[in-house]
Amino acid sequence: MIERYAALIRNAWLVDLQYRASIVLWLLWGVTEPAIALGIWWAIAGDGSVAGYARADFARYFFAVMLINQLTIAWDSWYLDRWIREGDLNYRLARPLHPAHEAVAENIAYKARTASVILVVWLLVAAAWPAVRLPFEPGRWAITAVAVLLAAAMRFFISFTTGLLAFWTTRATSIMELHAGVSLFLAGRIAPLALLPPAVAGVAGVLWFRSMLAFPVDLLTGAVHGTDAVLRGLAAQLVWLGVWIAAFRLAWSRGIRRYGAVGG
Amino acid sequence: MPALVTAEQLSKTFQVKVRDPGLRGALRALFRPRYRDVHAVRDVTFRIEPGEIVAFLGPNGAGKTTTLKMLTGLLYPTSGRVEVAGFVPWTGGPPFKRRIALVLGNRQQLVWDLPPEETFLLNRAIYDIPEADYRERLAELVALLELGDVLQKPVRQLSLGERMKCELVASLLHRPPLLFLDEPTLGLDVTAQEAIRRFLIEYRERHGATVLLTSHYMQDVTALASRVLMINRGRLLYDGALEALVARIARTKRIELVLGGGGGDGNQVTAETLAAFGEVKSFRFPNAVLEVRREDAPATSARLLAALPVADLSIEDPPIEEVIRLAFARGVEEDE
Amino acid sequence: MRAPRWLGLLGAFLRLNIAEELQYRANFVASVLGTLFSMATALLTLALFFHHTTTLGGWDYWEIVVLLGVFNALTGVIEAVLRPGIGQLAGEVRSGELDLVLVKPVDAQGFVSFRRLDIWRITDVVLGLALAGYALFRLGHTPSLPQLAAFGVTLAAAAVVVYAIWVVLMSLAFWFVSVENIAVLFDAVYEGARYPVSAYPGALRFVFVYLIPIAWTTTIPASALTGRLRPELALVAALVAGLAFAFARALWRAALKRYAGASG
Repeated sequence: MIERYAALIRNAWLVDLQYRASIVLWLLWGVTEPAIALGIWWAIAGDGSVAGYARADFARYFFAVMLINQLTIAWDSWYLDRWIREGDLNYRLARPLHPAHEAVAENIAYKARTASVILVVWLLVAAAWPAVRLPFEPGRWAITAVAVLLAAAMRFFISFTTGLLAFWTTRATSIMELHAGVSLFLAGRIAPLALLPPAVAGVAGVLWFRSMLAFPVDLLTGAVHGTDAVLRGLAAQLVWLGVWIAAFRLAWSRGIRRYGAVGG
Repeated sequence: MPALVTAEQLSKTFQVKVRDPGLRGALRALFRPRYRDVHAVRDVTFRIEPGEIVAFLGPNGAGKTTTLKMLTGLLYPTSGRVEVAGFVPWTGGPPFKRRIALVLGNRQQLVWDLPPEETFLLNRAIYDIPEADYRERLAELVALLELGDVLQKPVRQLSLGERMKCELVASLLHRPPLLFLDEPTLGLDVTAQEAIRRFLIEYRERHGATVLLTSHYMQDVTALASRVLMINRGRLLYDGALEALVARIARTKRIELVLGGGGGDGNQVTAETLAAFGEVKSFRFPNAVLEVRREDAPATSARLLAALPVADLSIEDPPIEEVIRLAFARGVEEDE
Repeated sequence: MRAPRWLGLLGAFLRLNIAEELQYRANFVASVLGTLFSMATALLTLALFFHHTTTLGGWDYWEIVVLLGVFNALTGVIEAVLRPGIGQLAGEVRSGELDLVLVKPVDAQGFVSFRRLDIWRITDVVLGLALAGYALFRLGHTPSLPQLAAFGVTLAAAAVVVYAIWVVLMSLAFWFVSVENIAVLFDAVYEGARYPVSAYPGALRFVFVYLIPIAWTTTIPASALTGRLRPELALVAALVAGLAFAFARALWRAALKRYAGASG
């Protein structure tokens, strides 16, 4: 299995190389959204603070969002939707390898490439701009890495499962857009969860949205206080990861069954 | 020996949305959609022994690809039974998939932006092919398909024929005993088509693979298949050797003439002159083609040779396309 | 090309696309729902910002909602006309299908721009203008005739500017073959047009006015409608639009020349 993954990742890496310009674009997309949000909050915060976030805090927050979103985002729903609709699933199904492995390998290759770019950019910006610097805390960073891994895995399964909806509907992409729209708020992409009305932030915490992005980001920027809070956050991530893995397996077995009934 | 592929009363029915043409029909379909049953495959039964090359022949939409998908486990039948290499394809899983290769004429598994070699390496990993075997098989396939240094170029720069050849290499590295080819020569030029046919024959000879291919090209069938399964509108019309089919259907023969030589007044011959001997299919001096009843062919030929200045004459079967077209149009009847 | 022939062509495109679109019943519902959803998201985002402030770049809440309505109307134009046609261009350059376009006896740029119309997205335009109207009502401001005229001019100019930006982006497809998702970059940057340009810090403001002139697309028309803009200045917008179009056309021709020279 390791060899297969090595081969898959190598393949994905090489394809990415061909698409250098494309990937730069996706990177820029991943950066502009937090940048615009930062711009607005910067204006609003002025010389004071908003719910405890001053300008520097916003800057750190949104740089963390840039990095961690890039590390956790999954595009597989779009690929899967296309594979199913265009018949590219057929030859994958005829192989003795579950197509999800190929998707995972692509994620690894793509994220390794793009996240390293963002990391370098962050380091460069931090050299010139003290506001975005983080204190050197390897312990915190290690825990953040774990949280990021859990978030990435969960988002992969969310993405893949929603992609599988293409077995049933041609509007799977609409559902993905719906989820993306909701996560704009609830996952913390537009603002730290602390700035949302408490009820809304509560929903984000109860559901999987906080586990997607906001929790690892808060971990990194030091907005999670106390071991208790850290453990509860990680536990929530584990639980939701489990839920989405189960959803994935259900969707796959049902979806394949339907695919075998109605064809591509 | 049990058959390698068994299909019994295989059927597949799809439900398709009905839409009337035009704007009004489109509006209607928007608010009250209707469905109808499409019987893509109806009660198809056949057996295939190991080592055969079998062609599924039929017009577009006949049900060939649907049958193939059921044999490879991509679709499951609405009714009937199918067994391939001891597996039920639909539930076969990885062990089954290792024993087959599927090549689709209109979709490719080669990674578009990379050289074909990269896809080969990927497949090597997916099918767990040992290094030594991989090298040996790759070398053999490349030699048989005459690929040369095409392997280094990105797939998107290859011609359609080169791509199909590489597709075949990618599919055969794990040397499966069963090959399923769906329209493998689709869209290729004549040279490429012939190259692929030669390859398939050679490959089968060497490795004893069983080959099932679908096609609507007659030449694929005549060159490759000892056995033809004719499918039209979901039904199996004919299952057997091609020559027998031709003999059964074709009640006529064609006499091909080249006029001239000998007496030298070949240009006196007109279409009317020829029409006395049989139906004139084409006449462009000095070539002519006449169609006569099969049993009359020898006698008519003798009369032609006696009456007209003929430089060359041969008796042929009518073009296979026409035979097939007749077969599909009439269904295959017992000969009289 | 003469106008009547162009109108005839447009009519043909329209007929073809409408008939095609009506096939997919879900498209209709999804389209409207999608627009309503994204408008709701935008209003919620704005509400979130105004939860923590009373003005943004000197603009009141309802003034920005007018701008949001304009944004939606323009998005409707983009989705209905630009993305379906020009969006395909990069793929066609890559696959060589563009040749099929170039042999047609019509201007290639026009053909590519208008050949596919996602007509349901016109609902975006309607909904956007309705939103702007409602916001004006809440502001208690009835635009005077000069203001309405200025709005008309600046809105048309905005559409032209957006079109020009798209043509420029798509022309890049001729130089960088693998930028199929350049539309993604547009989406990301265009998000900045949701807010008045005065909301951004100086550097971004400069970019959005002079470099990627999205400020001219939403801020200016909205200003015309709410009376912030002196109606005469609408002519400047028209001038900017003209310049943008000329630049884009020149770039397109250069790109085509390169394509014709490069392909085999």
